[in-house]
Amino acid sequence: MKRGFAALVLGLVGAAGCRARSEAPAVPAAPAPARTPTAIAAPQLGFLDESRQGTPVDGGVLRRRLTGEPTTLNGVLQSSLPEAQVLQYVQRNLFDFDGNLRLVPGLAEGMETSADGLAYTIALRADAAWEDGKPVTARDAVFTIRKIVDPKVPAQVFKPLFEELVSVEALDERRFSLRFSKPYAFRPMAFVFPVLPAHRFEGQNFLKAKDNRAPLSDGPYRFVAWKAQETIELERNPKYAGPPGHFDRIQFRIVPDNATAYRMLLDDALDEDELDAGLKQKAAADPAFAACCRLVEFYNLDYNYIVLNNRSPLFGDARVRRAMTMLLDRAAIVRGLYRGSARIISGPWAPDSPAYDAQVEPLPFDPAAAARLLDEAGWKAPAPGAPREKDGRRFEFELLVSVGSDVGRQIDEMLSSELARVGVTARVRTLEWAAFVEKVDAGAFEAASLAWSAVDPNPDPYFYWHSSQCAPNGINDGCYASPEADRLMTEARQELDPQRRLAKLRGLHRYFRDEAPAIFVVNAARKYAFRKRVRGLATSPLGLYGIWPGPLGWWASPEAAQ
Amino acid sequence: MIRYVARRLLLAVPTLFGIAVIVFLLLHLAPGTPGAGGADSVRRVSGKAAEEMRRLYGLDRPLPEQFAKWIGRVARLDLGESFVDHRPVGERIREALPNTLALNGLALLFALAFAIPLGVVAGGHPEGAFDRASGAALFALYSLPTFWAALLLQTLFCVQLRWLPLFGTASDAAPAGLAGLGDRLAHLALPVTCLTYGTLAFVARLVRSGVAEARSSDYVLAARARGASRNGALWRHAFPNALLPVITLAGLLLPALLSGSVIVERIFAWPGLGRLYFDSILARDYPVILALSLLSAVATLAATLAADIAVAAVDPRVRDGAAG
Repeated sequence: MKRGFAALVLGLVGAAGCRARSEAPAVPAAPAPARTPTAIAAPQLGFLDESRQGTPVDGGVLRRRLTGEPTTLNGVLQSSLPEAQVLQYVQRNLFDFDGNLRLVPGLAEGMETSADGLAYTIALRADAAWEDGKPVTARDAVFTIRKIVDPKVPAQVFKPLFEELVSVEALDERRFSLRFSKPYAFRPMAFVFPVLPAHRFEGQNFLKAKDNRAPLSDGPYRFVAWKAQETIELERNPKYAGPPGHFDRIQFRIVPDNATAYRMLLDDALDEDELDAGLKQKAAADPAFAACCRLVEFYNLDYNYIVLNNRSPLFGDARVRRAMTMLLDRAAIVRGLYRGSARIISGPWAPDSPAYDAQVEPLPFDPAAAARLLDEAGWKAPAPGAPREKDGRRFEFELLVSVGSDVGRQIDEMLSSELARVGVTARVRTLEWAAFVEKVDAGAFEAASLAWSAVDPNPDPYFYWHSSQCAPNGINDGCYASPEADRLMTEARQELDPQRRLAKLRGLHRYFRDEAPAIFVVNAARKYAFRKRVRGLATSPLGLYGIWPGPLGWWASPEAAQ
Repeated sequence: MIRYVARRLLLAVPTLFGIAVIVFLLLHLAPGTPGAGGADSVRRVSGKAAEEMRRLYGLDRPLPEQFAKWIGRVARLDLGESFVDHRPVGERIREALPNTLALNGLALLFALAFAIPLGVVAGGHPEGAFDRASGAALFALYSLPTFWAALLLQTLFCVQLRWLPLFGTASDAAPAGLAGLGDRLAHLALPVTCLTYGTLAFVARLVRSGVAEARSSDYVLAARARGASRNGALWRHAFPNALLPVITLAGLLLPALLSGSVIVERIFAWPGLGRLYFDSILARDYPVILALSLLSAVATLAATLAADIAVAAVDPRVRDGAAG
C-alpha cells in the first residue's frame, strides 16, 4: 500500500470555477503529457469514462474495500480516506469536483461572490432533506462551519481552509453568507465539505455524539450498520431527492491486508480494490484474475518528491540542490520500479494539474554536470574518490523515509548509491510513521522522502513553499525561502484572472525546476482492480473516488461473466 | 494457602503500578505524537495545528500531572476515551475482546490438547521412531512463519478446495446464535490453526523432555517394580511430574489470550485486540495503548499467580513450603 504524506488541500477552484461568475473553468482538460528524457513509450494509460456507456441497471450490492477502520463518520471530524469513502454516499458536500476538476453544485445550488472577493453567499437546494424528514437549512451549514473553526474541535481537514474566516451568518432558511479577511483565488474550493444536521447535535458533546458513528443522511444512501473492524453497511435513502444510486446496498469491508483483499476480489467477496505494484504484476499474469476482473490504471495528481532542508548548511545553495536532482536517475526509476507506468515531473505538480507546464523539461540525469555544480558550490573532494567537504564539514546526511513506503525507500537507495559515486554520503533511514511525521513537522531532518497526494485540484503552492510557512508554523517542511518564489506565489493566489494566474504559476514551475527546492521524482499511475460486472467507471486526476458522481455512477451488469 | 494467595495479591499492586509507570514513560518518550494522523490521513496538519491538538488532549501538561490524572481515573476503573474516535476505551476493548478470546482460547486449548499426548508418547520412548519423527515434524512446524503458513492455508482451503471461508468472523448470511455456530467455527478454523501449531510444537517438546527425564527416575522404576504397567507408570507417575513446568508455561501462555495476534488478525481480517493495539500504536492513541498494556499486565500477573497456585496444588513440596 502506498502511503505518504498528503497534502493539505486548501482552496477552491478559483473564482473561475464558481458559478456566480460566468467565466470558463480555470481548469481545462488534461494537458498533453510532459516530454521527459525517458525513452520509454508512454504506457497505454489514461482516462476511462464509461458514464455514458450502456444502460445502467439498478439493484444488487456493491462490495468495496476499506484499508482501515474509519475513526468517525462525522463529516467535520473526518481525517482519512476510508472516512471520505463512506461519507461520500451518505452526506452531500455543498459543492463537489467533477471528473474534469470543475466545481459543481451538490447540496448547494449556487454561490455568489462579492465584488471585493471577500464575501460569499451560498444557497442550498430547496429539496435537500435529512432522512428524518427535516429540511437541510442554512442553520445546519452555519452550525457546521462554526464547528470547523471551533478551537475545541479537531477538524484537521477543514480548519486550514477557514483560517481567514471573519463571520458566517444564516440569511434565511436556505441562504447563508461567509466573510473572509483576505481575497483568495482558490477560496471556492473550501466549500467542498458536508453539512451536519444541527438538530442532532443539540445538547450533545460534539466529539462523542451518537451521530459520529451513525450519521444522518442527506445523500443518496443511508447508514445501516457498522461492525467494528469488519463492515459498514449502507442502503439506498428513499428520502433523497436527487438521482438515486444504482446499487440497493453498499457494503464496505475493512480489510487491512493487501494480499487478503486480492484473494477476496478473486473469490467474489469484493468488487473493487486498489492494487500495489507487486499485486498488479501478479494480477497481470494471473488467469484467475483475467477471468473475473479487470485492471484500471490511470494517472492522478499525486507525486513523490524528496524534500531538501534549506536550514541545513548542505542544501541552502541552489546549485547543490540542482545537483541532487541531477544525480537521481528518474528514467531508471520509471523503468525499473514502475515498469513504465510513471512520469518524470519537473516541478511541484503532477502533469495533469492545470498549473503544470509541459514545456518545462526536467533536469537531466547527469552525474558529471552534477559533480561540477558541487565543485562550484565549494564542496570539493580533497583527493579523487575522497568524500567531498567544505570548511571542514563532510557532505553527508540522513535521508528519511517512512515505513511502508517501499518505493520511497528504493528511490532513496538509488539516490544514495549515485551520490556515493560523487563522494557524497546519504544514509537512508527508515522511521515508523508517527516518528517520521514528528521529525518532518519539526523541520528536524536534512532530507526526507514524501508523497504528495491531492484531494482537490488546488495548485496553490503557498502552503508548501512560501517562506512564511516554514515548519512548525506551516508545512513548508524544508523551509524553502526565496523572495522571487514568494512574490510569484503571493501574486498568483491573489490574482482573480485565471489566465494571468496560470501564467504566474507556470513561471513558478520553471523557477522551481532550476531552484530545485526538492527533488521532484515521478507521478506514478494508480492501479485498481474491479470485478467485471462493475460498470460506469470514470477516472479523473482526483482518482476514482474523490469526484462527483464518482462511485455513485457505478452499476452492476447482470449479464457480465462472473 | 489463603495467606499465600493474599500475599501474592498484595504484591501485585506495586508491580502493576510499576508497570503502569514504565509503560506511560515509554509511550511519552517514544517519538511521534497523537494528532499527526495515521498514514491514511488525507491531509497534513502543520506543526502549529498539531500543537493545538496536543493542548486539546492535555498533552501539553507536565508528565507527572498527566500520569496522576490517568492513574487516578484507572483506579476508579475508568480507562478514559480514545483520542482517535472519542469513544470510551472500555467500549472499544469490549468490542474486540470476545473475538480475540475465542481465537486465542481455542488455539491454546488445541495446543495443549494435542501437545500433551504427543509429548508423553514421544517421551515414553526417547529416541524411538515416533520420537524422532514427531521431533522433526514439530521442529519444522515451530520454524514455519505464521504469515506464510496463513497464506498457504488460504490458498489451499479457501481458494482451491473452497472448503473454508477466507476471512472474517462470520458470513453475511449466517444466522445468529446456535444456528450460526457451524459458520463461525468454519471461520475460526484457519486462524486457530495458525495460532496453534507453534505453541503446540513448543509445548509438546517440553512435555516430551519432562516425561523422558522422569521416566528414568527412581520412582518410576519403583512403580514398575510394584507391577505398574508401562503406560500406567508413564501416565500416572512420570507425566504428573513432567506437568509442573507445563503449568508454569501455561501461566505464561495465558496472557496471550488477551494480547491478540497482529499478523493473523490482519491476514484473516479478524476484528480482535491485536489489530486494535497495532492501530492504536500507529496513531499514538495513548489511552487505548495504556489500557491494553495494563490489561496484558494484569493478565500476566493473574495467570502467573494462577499457575503458581496450580503448581502448589499439584506439588505438595511447593504447597507446604508456601504455607510455612
